Amino acid sequence: MPDSTQLDASDLPIREGLERELKRAWTRLASPGTWWSAAQRLAIAAEMRNAHACALCRRRKNALSPYTERGSHDGLGELPEAVIEIVHRLATDAGRVKRSWVEAMSTAGVTDEQYVEIVGVVALVTALDTFDRALGSELRPLPAPQPGEPSRKRPTGATRDLAWVVTVAPQALTPDDPNPYAVHGEKNIHRALSLVPQEVFNFFDLDVELYLKDSEIRDFDTEYRALTHAQIELLAGRVSALNGCYY
Amino acid sequence: MGAALEGSGVDARVPDAALLIEFAESILRGDGARQALAREAVYRALGAAALVDAAAIVASFNAVVKIADGTGIPLEAAKAAATADLRTALGIERFKRDP
Repeated sequence: MPDSTQLDASDLPIREGLERELKRAWTRLASPGTWWSAAQRLAIAAEMRNAHACALCRRRKNALSPYTERGSHDGLGELPEAVIEIVHRLATDAGRVKRSWVEAMSTAGVTDEQYVEIVGVVALVTALDTFDRALGSELRPLPAPQPGEPSRKRPTGATRDLAWVVTVAPQALTPDDPNPYAVHGEKNIHRALSLVPQEVFNFFDLDVELYLKDSEIRDFDTEYRALTHAQIELLAGRVSALNGCYY
Repeated sequence: MGAALEGSGVDARVPDAALLIEFAESILRGDGARQALAREAVYRALGAAALVDAAAIVASFNAVVKIADGTGIPLEAAKAAATADLRTALGIERFKRDP
């Protein structure tokens, strides 16, 4: 039995693959994206952390419907109001997002591509910060932004047909587009971010090390972690239930 | 299966289920003191590598929901059909949102 007096997050053994992807995820967060600069991506990350102290978000969270609560967010002042609205709502009350709200954000000036990249950044930072919090580590300071410009390339075959956001079906990929399905598979959850293929890689390269690769999920003959499949799915089920996740 | 969604986990018939459930609950809903107790309980019972993996699973599923919720991506039709009865029995359908 381990000695509890030795429990220190910095001493815990992080698997090699997980360590590699954590490091890469922080680097990617601080790198120029497809539609947002590195500084803007980090501003989104900072705003996500700040959302939990926002009075409007607290009122909305406690309201029967978050859409009846009006007001201004307690933002950090680095991003446009519509972007702050997106980041705060995804951070604090994502389970009650509606299609009409997503459409309203488009009307407010946030493009489909920018919106999907925000979703990707919020998900990535949620994963990174939750991991640190779960191990008892302090939140890491956000890294310095890396130089460069967003690539601003939209996949040719993108259409709005399956989700509230525009996606690229696997069969609609063209040779000129990065294939967001090549590494992690073609599940709908991968397709959700496919309008910005790099965000599929950014999130799922890390996620398969946090959770399991697609091929490992139902391979019950092999245990890939220090927890069994049953223990993993128990944890996953409870976290999903606490988040009200239907997926 | 329902033990994963609610309750203390003691009915789950999964080794150390109650410890793991409390770990997940504390990270998402608890304060620092509750989290520290839950973390130490997993560490003492299952070891350091299991604690890291438990933290990783909580992180993964706390994050991927942002993608599903933020984009309105539906469950695959085949998966929804294959699990319809189970999802109804477990009450998962209540999480499905109005468009």
